[in-house]
Amino acid sequence: MSEPAVTRHSPPDGAPLDSQLQAMLVHHEIESFNARYAQALDEQRLSDWTEMFTDDALYVILSRENYDRGLPVGLIYCENKRMIHDRAFALMETSMFAPRYLRHIIANQVVVSVESNGTIKSRANYVVLQVLFDRPDATLHQVGVYYDVFRRVGGELKLAERRCVYDNLLVPNALCIPV
Amino acid sequence: MAWQRVASFSEIDVDGVLGVDVNGSPVALYRLSNEVFATSGICTHALALLSDGFVEDGRIECPLHQGQFDIRSGKALCAPVTEELRTYAVKLEGDDVFIDMERPAASAPAVANAAPNRKAGDGVRVAEEGDQVGSGKIAAMNVDSELSLTKRYVWPAEGLTRIPDWVYTDQTIYEREIERIFHGRTWNYVALECEVPKVGDFIRSNVGPTPVVVVRADDGSINVVENRCSHRAAEFCRELSGNVKEFVCPYHQWSYDLQGNLAGVPFRRGVNGKGGMPADFNNAQHGLRRLNVTAHRGVVFASYLDDMESFQDYLGPEVLNEFEATFDGRKPRLLGYYRHTLPGNWKLYHENLKDPYHATLLHTFLVTFGLLVAGNRSLMLADATGRHGVMASAKSERKSVSSDAKKEMRAYRDGMTLAEPRFMDFVEEFDSPWSVTMATIWPNLIIQREMNTLGLRQIIPTGPHEFIMKWTMFGFEGDDEEMTRHRLRQGNLMGPAGFLGLEDNEAIKFVQDGMQHVPGGQHLVKLDPAVAAGTSDSLISEASIRAMYRHWRAEMGL
Repeated sequence: MSEPAVTRHSPPDGAPLDSQLQAMLVHHEIESFNARYAQALDEQRLSDWTEMFTDDALYVILSRENYDRGLPVGLIYCENKRMIHDRAFALMETSMFAPRYLRHIIANQVVVSVESNGTIKSRANYVVLQVLFDRPDATLHQVGVYYDVFRRVGGELKLAERRCVYDNLLVPNALCIPV
Repeated sequence: MAWQRVASFSEIDVDGVLGVDVNGSPVALYRLSNEVFATSGICTHALALLSDGFVEDGRIECPLHQGQFDIRSGKALCAPVTEELRTYAVKLEGDDVFIDMERPAASAPAVANAAPNRKAGDGVRVAEEGDQVGSGKIAAMNVDSELSLTKRYVWPAEGLTRIPDWVYTDQTIYEREIERIFHGRTWNYVALECEVPKVGDFIRSNVGPTPVVVVRADDGSINVVENRCSHRAAEFCRELSGNVKEFVCPYHQWSYDLQGNLAGVPFRRGVNGKGGMPADFNNAQHGLRRLNVTAHRGVVFASYLDDMESFQDYLGPEVLNEFEATFDGRKPRLLGYYRHTLPGNWKLYHENLKDPYHATLLHTFLVTFGLLVAGNRSLMLADATGRHGVMASAKSERKSVSSDAKKEMRAYRDGMTLAEPRFMDFVEEFDSPWSVTMATIWPNLIIQREMNTLGLRQIIPTGPHEFIMKWTMFGFEGDDEEMTRHRLRQGNLMGPAGFLGLEDNEAIKFVQDGMQHVPGGQHLVKLDPAVAAGTSDSLISEASIRAMYRHWRAEMGL
């Protein structure tokens, strides 16, 4: 769908075409990253989820209220991949919660900037829907925005920062699987 | 006393029992085929309502201990009942059932000419006829609502080792709790002083379910006022926090100063000499509802009563001591909030923190990583009244876990370690023998000191089946950046996504779910019989839960 648009707007010297293509590739790369990310969480493959972060990654889920007021408290607060690993391990091996299906829907990806060192800043909206195994309805569990920083490790895109800022004031009972 | 109409014949099921309240006395009505009988509604053995029992072969079986009585004669038929049940004379007129409480059952039973089927509209007709029989008789049945409440909500005869489900599920009980507990003789947590440092700073809060605004006035005082315009009840303040010079209700622009006094009423004298408030309207009588306020070590409490005891006396010396171990004189610094709903009764949260039994069994995270075991030094403190409590434990080194204790806890795994163990470090900062204390301050506050992650959990009940929990997480002025980050990292244990917090929320939900479709259910709280109700040094104890219900029953008149 995007190819004809590129051709139509391509200027004669070729350089802007490269940058446009570059931007589209980055956008596409992040989009497919987020699709894989959502799938890992939906299928509760938390070890795979852990591997999508850099070793020094920051992963925080915080309320819009805290974020807007500059208050640092997060529902989940991981300062590095080791803490993300512990979170994944604890949820899979020790935590007690009712069985559930989750669907992470990620949309409206926007690449904010691409730094010269390859660091990409971006954001996206997200929605998490939840179905408890023994209840008939899907509930809107969380709605928010990812504020992200991506970096390449061995050519592969990884999250160096993901701040999940949710708009709903109240968490419905408990947040059991990351967002 | 003469005949009184007490029910409609059609209300009583065949081979069923119906409980009615007659002048404050419970009466049980039975229908055997087309005959109606009446007896006293209370078992002669223990305090139980026979209307909750079972009718079989002309007998009523008490729900509590399964004693049986003959419905026709009141005769006691089997153990444990020995004393005969009082019977009352019954007569039927059309669909109306009359009894005479001063006469025993007649030898000839009351027989309906034809068993009427209940039809839509019957209720209205019956009520009108009843009124004609004896004026005021129906009203008299409900005259003493206090008394009938105590008869309807009967505590199990076993006493505090049982808690009936209606304590957690009943709307009438819930409304009485708001009136008698949250709006009664209690200090309710509303805010930290550091949330409203400057004149005009405010935050929204709640006392029980009731929305309030906590605001710093021009004289530096902290005021707590209902978030309800005195004109048309609008919840006028819509921001969660902020800074204002005055409060203005958006509906009709009534304005209030920072102490809640009514400052201005638009068009108070009308327009062109017409309309407006009556000439004698006095602003001073129409301010916002103001609550009594106290603060201790930077923590603010409010009460609907003006003649409250001091906060120190309210806590009692032992719980005050633990309060002051956490709020040790350093000024609290706000780090942020968690807010979540919890689909369970609000008291279950108190009970969760008066129940050290669950800690090593539910929270396998702690056990898996060797952080808490059943043999740790611990205390479950209750104050003299039973309403407040402190669950305390001291962190022990992993090597001290005895093999006996380990066997008890299936989750314990030798050699399992965290990739980032420093998040569970305990930085000594308190003058206390305990590394963890959870103080339950009646009725709406839990003070969490889980090693170095500190929080105030405020209970906001929204009905018998649900409450909102607002967590105000804090550190202290003087914390360096690393200490703040340590508190934030350790915060992964708590809140609605916390390793421990999410499990408590799930478990409490399961308890409420379990009560939904089981009539007449009871909970069992028998652990630690050596302590009837109160402080225990064992983790395997429910003595503090019993102490809380001793207090609750007294406050509720149940």
